[in-house]
Amino acid sequence: MDFSAISDAFGEALTLTSFIGIGGGVLLGYIIGVVPGLSRSVAIAIAIPMTFYMSPFIAISFLIGLSKGTAAGSAVSAILLNAPGEASSAATCFDGYPMARGGRPKTALKIGLLASVIGDILATMILIFVAIPFARVALLFGPYEMAAILAFALVFIAGLSGGSLFKGLAAGGLGIFLGTIGLDPQTGMPRMTFGYAELMDGMPLIAVAIGTLALSEMFVQSDRLRYERDTMAVKIGHDKADTLRWPEFRITIPAIIRGTGVGTFVGALPGLGPSVGSFMSYGMTKRASKTPERFGKGAPEGIAASESADNAVIPAALIPLFGLGIPGNVSAALLVGAFAIHGITVGPLLIRDNPEFIYSIFAGMIVASLIMLAIGWFGLMVFAQITRVPHAVVIPIVIFFCLAGMVLQGYGVFGLVILMAFALLGYLMKKYDYSFVTFLVAFIITPMLELNLRQSIILSRGDPMILMNRPIALFFIACTIVALVMLGYRTIKKPRPVEGAAAAD
Amino acid sequence: MHRQSFWSGLVVVGFALLALHWIIPGYAGRAMMRGMPPDLLPRVAAWLMLISGLFVVGNALFHMWRTGEAMISTEVNWGALGWSTWPFVYVGFAVWLATMFKVTYIGAPVIAGMLILLGERRWYVVIPCAIAPVIALYVLSVYMMRIGVV
Repeated sequence: MDFSAISDAFGEALTLTSFIGIGGGVLLGYIIGVVPGLSRSVAIAIAIPMTFYMSPFIAISFLIGLSKGTAAGSAVSAILLNAPGEASSAATCFDGYPMARGGRPKTALKIGLLASVIGDILATMILIFVAIPFARVALLFGPYEMAAILAFALVFIAGLSGGSLFKGLAAGGLGIFLGTIGLDPQTGMPRMTFGYAELMDGMPLIAVAIGTLALSEMFVQSDRLRYERDTMAVKIGHDKADTLRWPEFRITIPAIIRGTGVGTFVGALPGLGPSVGSFMSYGMTKRASKTPERFGKGAPEGIAASESADNAVIPAALIPLFGLGIPGNVSAALLVGAFAIHGITVGPLLIRDNPEFIYSIFAGMIVASLIMLAIGWFGLMVFAQITRVPHAVVIPIVIFFCLAGMVLQGYGVFGLVILMAFALLGYLMKKYDYSFVTFLVAFIITPMLELNLRQSIILSRGDPMILMNRPIALFFIACTIVALVMLGYRTIKKPRPVEGAAAAD
Repeated sequence: MHRQSFWSGLVVVGFALLALHWIIPGYAGRAMMRGMPPDLLPRVAAWLMLISGLFVVGNALFHMWRTGEAMISTEVNWGALGWSTWPFVYVGFAVWLATMFKVTYIGAPVIAGMLILLGERRWYVVIPCAIAPVIALYVLSVYMMRIGVV
């Protein structure tokens, strides 16, 4: 391992500018995470336009810091309000809220924070040690293998990120269809642009991301306001009994390690998302406990299991992204877009050609985790106050930033109209249970899918028998067929979503 | 539930047919050299939508037949529909305003209007919430991105 490169990376991550960028991302993420209903992907979608003026390293570290901050911040509302900031912290409510109601909100928040930070740092270390060798193996893959892996990832995401495989595939099909709009890369001819010069570069990613994720989510939230108004948060007092002590924290350590393992495994697989990870980790910890009857009544291990898995998913989701260039969830897909905006193609070639940049990102991630600990620990009382901000205040402000984000990118009125169209599409997809996760991932990976498909067709001269000499590609094609059959059977037999997987972002 | 799936599946099927019979033949281009024709991937995507949509419709029809659920419901909750629709109309109006004025200028009244419509009437909440985001946008566009007022 090149230690000088690692020390250089930490040197870059610890400059004042980087520190402000990463810290700003974590702080903003923490605030957004605390507000119920604003998810990680919504935060990233809105924040991408803010990164235009930043250097690529600070921009990506800012967004990753933001992502980590939302995961940790969402525990605050789960514990104090019994309303998780995002779906992945729903399992934290089971024990966090009873502990807070029992007069120990500070203890519950600190357990959640420490579990988040430890899970996050451990998963980042795993990312560092796995992504680089993984990318070296991935460099041996040709276009056949990459096309087969992309097809498999899409089917997997379609089947697991929503209720129905068929609705997921329909959403994926629409994502691919819209992703092909623009100049054809081979002939240079306009494809489905309907004469609009603005569409020559394809559908603007920012409009698609902000429209389907953020703006549509605000419409969904305003819809809910008709039936649900805000609830009261548990107040934090100055009770001396409300202090986290080492013996109490010590018993949560096995749960944190288990949660990190589960979160890393789930995060590295495409389509599952942090919700599945945190629920799975909670269930496993409860089963492993000698006193499972304490769970649901304020057991500290329950909070630790859920939060460590939730945060471990974020670095783990970058394993397929850095290793193969394939985003496994919406947040990773948005990062692909952010990399592209800064002129960087993420994937194994980036690790080979620009390892210093990747090392800097890894260093930035560790710095972000430490900043998250400091912000969460010392800002506890402030964040507790943010949970009192009513939904009615959040919605118009987020809508304003959605419109501003489009204008900042220079798309003007055309961009705003496209934004509204995608907001309507996203709203309808959420309303009728079509996986917007699959839609967005499909939209973003379409150029890569098309490139690999094109290269495969040209190299094979259209002869599919060439696949007989490509065992890895054949393996993934077989996996795709098996996944289609199994997930299709599950959809027909049991038309209900995977627990907690609805928001696989 | 199944009724919604049925109708949404029909919309998917309809769009896929529209794509296969009008959009792709007319606007996706044709192969002019060896290799992959430009309309191949859109065509694959449209077929994927068509087949998936048919499965959604078929599955919904089967469940509706089993549960006796009607295909069309005449009960429309106009209140809920209106509540769902007005934010779209309001934001659409804001977009229309943005065609004439800069977003920074219309930001505060647009936010304040929506806050009031959503039920927030306390002036000491409405005014700062309407002004602070606009100031943030101004600082971002003028001083940090240096692209001027947007």
